[in-house]
Amino acid sequence: MTQDAMIDEWYPVGLVSQLDSFGRKTALMGEPIDVASDADGNARVTANGRTLPVCVRYGHVWSSLGQPQKELFAIPEADQPGRRFVDVGVVRVRCSPLRAVENFLDIAHFPFVHTDILGSEPHTEVQNYKVEIREDADEVWATQVKFYQPQAARSASGGITTEYMYRVPAPTCSVLYKTCPPRPGEWDVITLFVQPLAEDLCDVWPWMALFDDESSMTDLIHFQQTIFLQDRSILENQIPRLLPLDPGMEIPTRADLTSVAYRRWLKRHGYTYGAQLVAQ
Amino acid sequence: MLSDPTGSWTPVALSVDLPPGTVVPARTPAGPIALWRSASGRPSASADRCPHRGMRLSHGFVRGETLSCIYHGWSYGAAGNCLRIPAHPGLSPPETIRVATHPVEEAGGVIWVGVGEPATQPPQLAGLVPLRSLQAQAGMAALEAAAGAKADENGLLETTQNSQEIRLLLAFQERDETLIHVLLDGDSSLLERIAVSRAVEALRRKAEAIEAEGSSR
Amino acid sequence: MKLYNYILSPSCYKVRLMAALIGVRLELRPVDFHPGGEHRGPELMALNPAGSIPILEDGDLVLTESSAILVYLAAKAAPEWLGSGKAEEAARVQQWLSFSGRLTASLGGARLHEMLLRPGDIGAFQAQGIAALRELEAGLFEQGLRGQRFLAADRPTVADIACFPYVALAPDGGVSLDPYPAIRLWSRAIRALDGFIEMPGIHRLHELKPEPHIEPGEA
Ligand SMILES: N[C@H](CCC(=O)N[C@@H](CS)C(=O)NCC(=O)O)C(=O)O
Ligand code: FES
Repeated sequence: MTQDAMIDEWYPVGLVSQLDSFGRKTALMGEPIDVASDADGNARVTANGRTLPVCVRYGHVWSSLGQPQKELFAIPEADQPGRRFVDVGVVRVRCSPLRAVENFLDIAHFPFVHTDILGSEPHTEVQNYKVEIREDADEVWATQVKFYQPQAARSASGGITTEYMYRVPAPTCSVLYKTCPPRPGEWDVITLFVQPLAEDLCDVWPWMALFDDESSMTDLIHFQQTIFLQDRSILENQIPRLLPLDPGMEIPTRADLTSVAYRRWLKRHGYTYGAQLVAQ
Repeated sequence: MLSDPTGSWTPVALSVDLPPGTVVPARTPAGPIALWRSASGRPSASADRCPHRGMRLSHGFVRGETLSCIYHGWSYGAAGNCLRIPAHPGLSPPETIRVATHPVEEAGGVIWVGVGEPATQPPQLAGLVPLRSLQAQAGMAALEAAAGAKADENGLLETTQNSQEIRLLLAFQERDETLIHVLLDGDSSLLERIAVSRAVEALRRKAEAIEAEGSSR
Repeated sequence: MKLYNYILSPSCYKVRLMAALIGVRLELRPVDFHPGGEHRGPELMALNPAGSIPILEDGDLVLTESSAILVYLAAKAAPEWLGSGKAEEAARVQQWLSFSGRLTASLGGARLHEMLLRPGDIGAFQAQGIAALRELEAGLFEQGLRGQRFLAADRPTVADIACFPYVALAPDGGVSLDPYPAIRLWSRAIRALDGFIEMPGIHRLHELKPEPHIEPGEA
């Protein structure tokens, strides 16, 4: 598999808050890169002496090995007053970057993997929801996703039925909007930004924009790290490591319509870094 | 591994290491399996991959007579058919959703899994009882070299280590990895059992040193 | 009693688990270990110059070694977790409490490297981790021959709690637990204890609950 159409995309490569002049040695799609701050304190990303495009947004430094055709996708809530922005920090996972995103789009695993937090038996049913590929924005969207949750957020006390919207604006990034317990009518924003190190290895950078005046920043970080670390042991044990894009290898049901749309969208764009095309 | 033209049996685990209501990972020449025992005591073997989203079934859980996947809770019967999809409680899963299964035979405290359709039964280990299983980062050849003896066609090997008589049942895992089942007389004392177990650990160290030397050359 | 706690730290989890099993209430003070590195900041360094967590504060007493914290909790609330005090059992408890430090250094080092990108010699961490797991496997096998399901006795002691977390989380550091049947049975026995709590990376034993009967539309 080649770096293909995904080469011109933006990827997260570090936290802005942790930039320093020593630099962070990391990788992007198999190529070693260096993320540092220059003499003026600006982010600078280099690969083998070559300077790469840089963008600083949503608490992270973003870069690309190719020539990004578009600006980084917008998250309007990132500019909304009253929200708290949470840098959750990096977690490395030995899995395909695409598998990490697909897991983030899935709710059916909540009762078994995030037991008593995001789901619990017997509340396992996934009701019908809407999925579309929005042609104007070229994004995958799932809306009207509802699920019963024992502890939906750090600030929640007791079980509620939570509503979700999911959005995939870039092949390795997803943004989720979720009912916000302290502020009915608003949505909490939780993102998963994935840095593809290799086809079967990624650094995951969750980030959040929340309405929550009660919890400490550390509590908010710990809540999201708890959730993601419960997923990690699943992601490292899926076979095959790469995401199968051809039907036949895995069996979706109605609950998996977001994943089906995500796979179709990846295939349509030739976003196949981390994917497996032919059933093996 | 006992082969005949139609298939083979692999001793994958000891009965005591698979209590009712549990699932463990194991390996056969045909690939990894989830080996599980139902609450009523029946052992089964399935491919170690859930057909839904590829999660290893050996990470799952056993309730009653079914094996469930840890990821989304899909459950499977001993015949490999999917019985339940928790996300869709009203749905009877179609017949087409199933995991591949393998024949299982349990005799004398050893669980054997068949690949293909073996025409014969697994071998009897007359008079011997299994003690424990351990894995060596060493191939069959290195283990035979360390033991100074050859395994027979059933994988049985006899040797003396630190003046301790030991009998092993070997199962191929990978070129440089072997599963060792330690066997002994049923009437051995506690001290004898401990001595045999330690002697086999010594043999494993020796075999792994031989393997490491072989592969660094 | 106040525990300086990080939700992903296996060493802090030892303390939370022990407290849950014996019904001791802890006041948790969350520490931004990652990404913040708060354990190396002035406030926590003043409490523990070693720059590690857990730290337990109870009045004047400050404890910075998880094994000592387990012993403290057990001695106060549930002395049976210290073992019967017979010579051999007391020695086994100490043997495995000391051994648990090797699990932290090896399997814990591998986990920090593979998961949170800590520098270090991953090959050495993993090799030492496997060596430690083999010793534990042999120890548990021999205990089984003596009719004892746990490390020092036929009931769990502080030694089991000191060893369990890094072992159960070994796969986080790229060390497989597949080859260890005795460890698997022991780990299951611990996870099935009354009052057991999980941490991320250790899943619920769903089989302890009966299969729910669900009518569609009910959920
Ligand atoms: N004092 C030891 C230390 C435990 C330990 O290593 N804790 C880790 C967190 S899991 C730590 O604080 N490490 C310091 C660091 O890595 O900077 C204990 O209580 O067992
Ligand atoms: S992967 Fe097994 S139930 Fe979904």
